[in-house]
Amino acid sequence: MNPTLIRNPARRNAGQSPAAVRGRKRRRRSGVGSGRRPWLGLLYLAPGIILYAIVVIVPVGQGVWLSFFNWNGVTTATWAGLSNYTGFLSDPALRAAVEHTLYFIIFFSLLPITLGLLSAVLTSSKSVRGAGIFRAVIFMPQVITPAVIAVVWQRIYEPGGPVNDMLRVLGLGGLARGWLGDFTWALPALGLAGTWAAFGLCMVMFVSSMQSIPQELFEAVRVDGAGPVREFFTVTLPNLRGPMSVVLALTMIGAIRLFDLVWLTTKGGPGISTITPTVVLYERAFANPEVGSAAAIGVVMTLVSLLVVLVIVKVAEGRAE
Amino acid sequence: MISRRERVMTYTLLAIVAIGVLFPLVWVLFDALSPSSTGAIDLGSLQWSNFVAAWREAGFGQYLKSSLIITGSVVVLGTVVAILSGYAFGVLSVIGEKLLFPLVLIGLMLPMEAFIVPLYYDFLSYHLVGTYQGIILAHLGMGISFGAFWMRTAFRAVPGSLGEAARIDGAGSWTQLWRVYLPVARPAVLTLVLLSCLWTWNDYFLALVLVSDPAHQPITLGLGAFSGRYLVQINLLSAAAILVSLPIIVLSFVFQRQFVRGILSGSIKG
Repeated sequence: MNPTLIRNPARRNAGQSPAAVRGRKRRRRSGVGSGRRPWLGLLYLAPGIILYAIVVIVPVGQGVWLSFFNWNGVTTATWAGLSNYTGFLSDPALRAAVEHTLYFIIFFSLLPITLGLLSAVLTSSKSVRGAGIFRAVIFMPQVITPAVIAVVWQRIYEPGGPVNDMLRVLGLGGLARGWLGDFTWALPALGLAGTWAAFGLCMVMFVSSMQSIPQELFEAVRVDGAGPVREFFTVTLPNLRGPMSVVLALTMIGAIRLFDLVWLTTKGGPGISTITPTVVLYERAFANPEVGSAAAIGVVMTLVSLLVVLVIVKVAEGRAE
Repeated sequence: MISRRERVMTYTLLAIVAIGVLFPLVWVLFDALSPSSTGAIDLGSLQWSNFVAAWREAGFGQYLKSSLIITGSVVVLGTVVAILSGYAFGVLSVIGEKLLFPLVLIGLMLPMEAFIVPLYYDFLSYHLVGTYQGIILAHLGMGISFGAFWMRTAFRAVPGSLGEAARIDGAGSWTQLWRVYLPVARPAVLTLVLLSCLWTWNDYFLALVLVSDPAHQPITLGLGAFSGRYLVQINLLSAAAILVSLPIIVLSFVFQRQFVRGILSGSIKG
């Protein structure tokens, strides 16, 4: 997702002995240099690669294999062919989960990016004192445990919680309700909690790249008489493509994988009104085992996540040229 | 150049955003100090003993012990393995690197959903479900991709001449790693340790799947169980929530700069 980090390890040739520079050149040409001992390397890598194989690589393969079977986790599995996949959109729970994911992308990705941009621009304005404090406050949800965030928002949305108190004070007591227990409102209520939790990260990512935009660009548009809005659209935004693609990929994957917040507040309910793909996966894998179907959900989620990342990277690269 | 109106607008918007972020947190903080189990806020009589009561009623001692054992083991072992793997890829090179390195990198983009279901059934057959060993192993395996990638980048930034000089002095690859490369790459190790703490402490899903035995569950699951049972005692639940988030908040204050930088670079881990 961040190819520049991979491709450009800092190269510092200055001040090196001639032998080392020669060694480096040789290495670059042939791929084998003075520091390189590939068999020894394998020995050092062994513990890591074995752990990785046991926990990640082998189970990924098993997941694909399992997705072609009907299995309740106990008795013998029977071959199911592609039926775990073909039933995907006719399955009401999964269909709802996919719709909710699309809806959550607005709250977990688009809104946080918008708010993150706004806060980044506001705290970067030279006229603002105490920008660091504002940023620290906005970033705070990032360091709070997701399980705790669930408790916090459950409290906020409760029938006797502050949202309803406020409505009553405003004379809108008729609108008061247990927001997370409401078939219509549980979904946007969870969405807003997600926006709250996510936009600090977006802000920090934008801020760190905005600092590298040349100051003259801002001065130039200001001299042309542009206000803050035009300055944003002509200078700031076009220079944020790199972080924008990273943030977009991250937050969209967060929306696709959403679990903790939903499981700890509504468990996907009321009914299936806030169910997400990972909640369905969890229930099918462990609560009421249809393991093949759960594995198929895992495979599809993996493919969708990889596709999202690929498309965003491709679009970002295409634009940059 | 910047008009007065613009400045007023900026401060107003910033204040709205900051209040929006702080409000839920402050509310829960006051709930936690409320003398009433409905969480009614009463700034006149702050009841600090709620924290003690919540700790006792939720059985947090046991959960905290589990969280410390899991997080501590994962951070120590995971960092060592990351250092070894990063050294292999970044300095020594590895047989089959063209295949192995991309294989490790793919792990950065794989969601946990890709392997959690078979992983559970595998661990069931190895009798690892519900044990510390099982959850620690799972965290370690999932951390390899980021750890190896991160330490590889750090070691590649170390001037090769340093290792070369040590080699001429007769240092083997093991000594070079710990005496030459690691001291130079210390800031990267600190960031890795912080991120590893954050991810392991905050984990809920992996523990939910792999640890059903309450005696071995981490504190995030303890909070979940507590909120299921004690929704009626809002003040105690809020106090419990604050206790759970406190260690990471303290860490993030102490290592503020490394933390932000770490979260920025670490968020590429899916």
